[in-house]
Amino acid sequence: MTTNPLLVAKDFKSDLKPIWCPGCGDFGVVQAIYRALAGVGRPPHEIAFVSGIGCSSRIPGYTTAYGFNSVHGRSLPIAQGIKMANPDLLVLCAGGDGDGFSIGGGHVAHAVRRNPDITYIVMDNQIYGLTKGQLSPTSPCGLKTVTSTYGSFEQPVNPLLYLLSYGAGFVAQATPADMAGMASVIEEAIRYPGFSFVNIQSPCVTYGQETQQVKAHRSQMKSLASVGHDPANRMGAFELASHYGEELYTGVFYRNPTPPPTYDALFRGRQAELATKVPRDRILDMFVQR
Amino acid sequence: MTTNVQGIDFSKLSLRDALDLAILVEEEAKERYEELAEQLEQHRTPEAAKFFRFMVENEAKHRADLAERRRVLYGREPSTVTRDMIFDIEAPEYDEARAFMSLRQALEVALRAEQKAHAFFVGAMPSASDPAVRALFDSLRLDEIEHQNLVQAQLDKLPPDPVAKPEDYGDEPVSQ
Repeated sequence: MTTNPLLVAKDFKSDLKPIWCPGCGDFGVVQAIYRALAGVGRPPHEIAFVSGIGCSSRIPGYTTAYGFNSVHGRSLPIAQGIKMANPDLLVLCAGGDGDGFSIGGGHVAHAVRRNPDITYIVMDNQIYGLTKGQLSPTSPCGLKTVTSTYGSFEQPVNPLLYLLSYGAGFVAQATPADMAGMASVIEEAIRYPGFSFVNIQSPCVTYGQETQQVKAHRSQMKSLASVGHDPANRMGAFELASHYGEELYTGVFYRNPTPPPTYDALFRGRQAELATKVPRDRILDMFVQR
Repeated sequence: MTTNVQGIDFSKLSLRDALDLAILVEEEAKERYEELAEQLEQHRTPEAAKFFRFMVENEAKHRADLAERRRVLYGREPSTVTRDMIFDIEAPEYDEARAFMSLRQALEVALRAEQKAHAFFVGAMPSASDPAVRALFDSLRLDEIEHQNLVQAQLDKLPPDPVAKPEDYGDEPVSQ
């Protein structure tokens, strides 16, 4: 594992040109990821970037890190597998709100409770954009889409409350309306030793609502620091996170001040403990007590 | 002062670093116009893309002029400001672009970007303690006004956009 303070954002930008719609929030997100990675200083060959399916899931291809544009909703299991196989890698995981909270929703709780040192970035645009504008799990109630012509009856998922309730040690939110803030939150999430989650309100310029666009975010956003929130206050984080969909809070909701050991660290500890006791041909005994 | 710079203390900025900052601002704008032009070429919006290409050349020229000034004064002396310290100072924001945007809309994007850069230098001037830095920011501020006037002159020559916008042709949601 190496860190190089001379790395700059451009070192993480691949030659592949993004094909998102002009005006898409994800253009800002990928720039913020470049900045965050440069800040962290790990070289691209020591980073694995896994995604699911969707517009935002194209993001690993736009970086110079190793990328895996995987199966819909399955980025977290794959990312965890990569982290277990090579714990020295910096593992990032990304996708949309549909990928993360509908199709892959069941994986989130288990990733959080295992606590691998992975950063999960969700580009939450409250719509299925790639498939042309269907209701997604975070779509607001009443939204008219091609699958809710007269308006949706469903209450949206609150990704921030989900992650806090599951016990995530780091939960934050950002918007492309504040590029510096977004880059800084992503960098902080990567540096957090354990599972970290960043919900980015990244508007869909084609199927999103006017009130969800970056221009609207500029007047709506409110930094958590400006409302005096202490990121170590978990209950305070719950209260503020409950306003998802009404208020656009940016910054860190919760950062566990005493992070528990990560799954990868515990796993390596177990390997080290048993490696001397178990002959190579009995390697599976490490995992089964007889 | 602004939230689009990180780690730059204007009160401690030397003329050399201020020049480097200005070069980076132009470089960022050039690259952003390049990206926007690519996006619009990809999304069949050739007129706006062509204008953004024109802006790429302009920003590259401004960058080259400043780089030459820096070279004459300071040669290869290292810089303490980096690209990672600035965000969207003269570069138009990504959310300004739209598929099928008109030439007028593209010019308005450039106008807003020049106004933003002007506001940046106006905001930075009082914080700069070195008179040479203040003078540089003042001249850059005036340059931005000149650029705004050039873009405005182009805008004035254009006929108004049609009343119907591209999004007006979009279909209302129908059930699937």
